[in-house]
Amino acid sequence: MTRIADDHKGTSHLLMGNEAIARGALEAGVSVAAGYPGTPSSEIISTLAKVPKEHNLYVEWSTNEKVAMEVAAAASFAGLRSMCVLKQNGVNVAADFLLHLSGSGTRGGIIIVPCDDPGALSSINEGESRHFARLLEIPLLEPGNFQEAKDMTKWAFELSEEIRNLVMVRSVTRLSHASGNVIFGELPKEAPRAFFKHDGFILDPMEGIVVSVPVSYRHGQQHEKLKKSIEIFETSPFNIYTGPDNPELLIITASVCDLYTREAVHILGLQDRVGVLKLGTTWPLPPKLMEKVMGRTDKILIIEEVIPFLEENVKILASELAPKIGIKTFFGKRDGSLPMAGELNPDLIISVLVKIFSMRYESMPSSYAEKAETYALKAAPARDLTFCPGCPHRASFWSIHNVLKMDNQEGFVCGDIGCYSLATLPTGFMSLKTMHSMGSGTGVASGFGKLDQFGMEQPILSVCGDSTFFHSVMPALVNAVHHKSNITVVVLDNSGTAMTGFQPHPGLKVDARGNEAPNIDIQAVCEAIGAKVKTSDPFDFDGTQKALFDLLEDKEGVKVLILKQICALSPEKKEKKMFEMSVNIEECLGQSCGCNRLCTRIFRCPGLVWDKDNQTARIDEAICTGCGVCANICPSGAIKKEEVA
Amino acid sequence: MQISGSNELVEQILKNDLCVACGACVGLCPYFKVYRGKVAMTFPCDLTQGRCYAYCPKTEVDYDNLSQTFYGKPYQGSALGEYRRIAASRAGDKMISGPFQNGGTVSALMTLALKTGMIDAAVLTDSDGLIPVPRLITKEEEVVQCASAKYVASPTLSCVNKGVEEGYDRIGVVGTPCQMTAVAQMKCNLLDKADFKDPIAFTVGLFCTWALDFRTFVDFLSDRLDLSTICSMDIPPPPAEVLIVKTADKDIEIPLSDIRPLVLKGCSVCPDMTAEWADVSVGAYEGKPGWNTLIIRSEKGEVMVDEAVKEGFLIVDELPALNLAHLIQGADGKKRRARENIEKAAAGNDSERNKQPAVTENWKMSSFQ
Ligand SMILES: Cc1cc2nc3c(=O)[nH]c(=O)nc-3n(C[C@H](O)[C@H](O)[C@H](O)COP(=O)(O)OP(=O)(O)OC[C@H]3O[C@@H](n4cnc5c(N)ncnc54)[C@H](O)[C@@H]3O)c2cc1C
Ligand code: SF4
Ligand code: SF4
Repeated sequence: MTRIADDHKGTSHLLMGNEAIARGALEAGVSVAAGYPGTPSSEIISTLAKVPKEHNLYVEWSTNEKVAMEVAAAASFAGLRSMCVLKQNGVNVAADFLLHLSGSGTRGGIIIVPCDDPGALSSINEGESRHFARLLEIPLLEPGNFQEAKDMTKWAFELSEEIRNLVMVRSVTRLSHASGNVIFGELPKEAPRAFFKHDGFILDPMEGIVVSVPVSYRHGQQHEKLKKSIEIFETSPFNIYTGPDNPELLIITASVCDLYTREAVHILGLQDRVGVLKLGTTWPLPPKLMEKVMGRTDKILIIEEVIPFLEENVKILASELAPKIGIKTFFGKRDGSLPMAGELNPDLIISVLVKIFSMRYESMPSSYAEKAETYALKAAPARDLTFCPGCPHRASFWSIHNVLKMDNQEGFVCGDIGCYSLATLPTGFMSLKTMHSMGSGTGVASGFGKLDQFGMEQPILSVCGDSTFFHSVMPALVNAVHHKSNITVVVLDNSGTAMTGFQPHPGLKVDARGNEAPNIDIQAVCEAIGAKVKTSDPFDFDGTQKALFDLLEDKEGVKVLILKQICALSPEKKEKKMFEMSVNIEECLGQSCGCNRLCTRIFRCPGLVWDKDNQTARIDEAICTGCGVCANICPSGAIKKEEVA
Repeated sequence: MQISGSNELVEQILKNDLCVACGACVGLCPYFKVYRGKVAMTFPCDLTQGRCYAYCPKTEVDYDNLSQTFYGKPYQGSALGEYRRIAASRAGDKMISGPFQNGGTVSALMTLALKTGMIDAAVLTDSDGLIPVPRLITKEEEVVQCASAKYVASPTLSCVNKGVEEGYDRIGVVGTPCQMTAVAQMKCNLLDKADFKDPIAFTVGLFCTWALDFRTFVDFLSDRLDLSTICSMDIPPPPAEVLIVKTADKDIEIPLSDIRPLVLKGCSVCPDMTAEWADVSVGAYEGKPGWNTLIIRSEKGEVMVDEAVKEGFLIVDELPALNLAHLIQGADGKKRRARENIEKAAAGNDSERNKQPAVTENWKMSSFQ
């Protein structure tokens, strides 16, 4: 992806939104970029990590989002331009530092780029980062298309230097992961030098110490900076009004909703009746601009996804401006015109406009819609959410499930986010009984483990991934050990941040740029913390289950089981079969008493299929990855494995 | 009689804590497993009929059918069940000595059965410390390794399933009355399979009044002594009323009244003290250590005992009438207590009643006419 560093000004490139953001940062002369992987944000850092070495960038996948923000902040303090990239909930992880950073102020241009996921297409929450901008009292920019993604990112660094504070550039899945044409600007030529001045006048923002105290002084300064941002926003080219001078309805929108809105207005042919104010600078709102635009009409529709953030801010301004612009009628989320949850799309906006304008509109004949639905249902096979064929997690949860069932004391597993979250579903034998934020499985388990004094005797397990272990499990583990919580932590170590695309983490011998890096050994860390540790290969059921039984029988303190097996999709494993698998149909017991399709009914690796005609199991060679695991579950030994030479 | 599937087995037996961990359902399929003396179903199975349910001695047992199959007549419900002869016995001079529980009759019969080829494998119960360990053996000399009684419930019959899986077709089994009931049902082709073959050639039942739940017993003992020092255990015949735990340096006597709460709940509704469905049944000899009480039930059992006497593996003597009277009294007592417990459960509130549907209904009807 070196085209991102293409030096030809004015050329047009088809870029993913995340690539456009990366390009904008390059054009701004970013020196340091840090982040923690999380869909839909991950490609920004991985794109920058591939920028050729002569650009002298420092890019890292940090241990977690808070550390990433701190790493980026250091660069700013040393006068460099820097950025921190994360997904929506990552902002929560970084929040404590962020609050202090916005209080202390910054030097070199620094931006935080959260990529939100309305509709939770690849998340287990619909968290919002926008309200953090208000909470932290920093400017919020929201690009509405791919060109803006690049241009606003570049501009955000300048704004940050102007106000000497952090600026938030917020993207969403449909911008980050869609592609559009972007015209490149110039790449800077000068090579910045890093130096941290700290011995000037103590309150000097550029030469003194970088702290958030004295709070009332610095906080006051921060508000001056916000006022300055508002001044700048009043004339920002990223806030655009299109439409008649006095529209019947004013739509105020931002981000990708602008594209949906324009499509809806176009489809309904409402261009002459509706005006659209697309805001790029969504917090703090520029009052003069808002006064001018809102003064043109009586009815205002605010279009945005998830929480009514823009709507509320607009309404506050509108009530302050009421003496000048009059009382408005608002449509949006609070009156129920638009849903509070989930993504928007042009159809949803069309339906709101149709109601407001009392129009009739049918997007497609209902007979066609009906037909389309029945055909879609017929033609598309029903598919479960499932672990990949050959996934070590399926094997791990097989053992965990079997051990907990056999142990027969109603033990349970607390989990968190990763591919292994799928263990809430049948593919992981529904093993996970709690699932929350990164690292929370072990923290929650640590708490459960102290409930013995209230009569709780159930065995308590937690699971976490290897990247998650470093991200946020370590403090929970320390807590559990220190408080003698009786729990067993299972680290599902698949040697990478698999869910988001194999970004490296501190447990691996390589960093984001592909350089050799010292790796931190999870077993040694756990032992140093004071846990009893065993390691096993999850593909070895007997060894894994014996280890787990042993750990469960030990009722004293914290036990850790590291289940180490590389992800089936990892570059090392992909397309390499360890075993050629087959089912001997003579031996297959099929649906009879004694098996009842254990492999295709319960274990359910997609590589195993039930042959209805022959009433036996079969291997789907195209899907089977040749891990060999199912040979160990078949009660009759009908599944054969032959080592691939 | 209604033969159901694993879901009913779980609902009626496992969830009601009536399972006595006999092991009949363990290893038949991938779903029933045993760990530290407790049987669990690891995954649901949706078959409406299963061998698990058919074999389980705690689901509805059709005693009339068993009696018809083995003795050609309806079940009588007498104290000791059908038998040909009752005697006193002990291992003969040809039998190698071992840590027999009483007279070594059981070990002697099994050793000879293997020696003569009457059976091709034996399912016995060894131990690892306190944990009973089911074993499938094929060598005569392995029999004595399994000698002595383990008073903790053992999933021994899982090894019958293992033996069948491995292709043995003349298996000998030693087990408690519940296990003998399960084995009898294994021999009956209850699911009417076309390719059914009885894989069991010879059965020796043990007298039994109750067995202990492994997990609670281990907790109980580990509060009192170091488990690793235990060598063996014995319950001398009445009126002793103690469990003797023998350790390397001393014998510890635990009053049976302390032990009774650790008895499996499933034992309280068990009507069989003398293993009525075995070829021969063996127990202690009241007042005569080193000897057994022997009940010969089937023709096969009789042939085997005669052969053992002839070959010098067994010495048989007469059992005094007083002993027999006590035995009948004991067996009757167990039947009476079981009936009372079942009736108590049945007469209890509705939810209590719902807990033991198969057992209560059936036993009222067929076992105690
Ligand atoms: C749980 C239990 C309760 C008993 N209760 C009574 C009683 O109340 N009255 C009475 O007279 N006798 C009782 N017995 C029988 C008695 O203890 C002796 O097992 C019997 O007298 C045979 O003695 P032996 O010397 O011939 O046995 P041995 O030659 O020592 O052989 C003992 C055999 O018992 C088998 N065995 C040991 N433990 C178990 C177990 N838990 N489950 C299945 N098989 C096992 C072994 O495989 C071995 O082959 C009980 C036995 C058990 C296991
Ligand atoms: S687990 Fe084995 S016996 Fe059962 S259906 Fe699959 S291949 Fe056949
Ligand atoms: S009593 Fe025996 S057959 Fe019945 S559930 Fe328990 S172990 Fe299985």
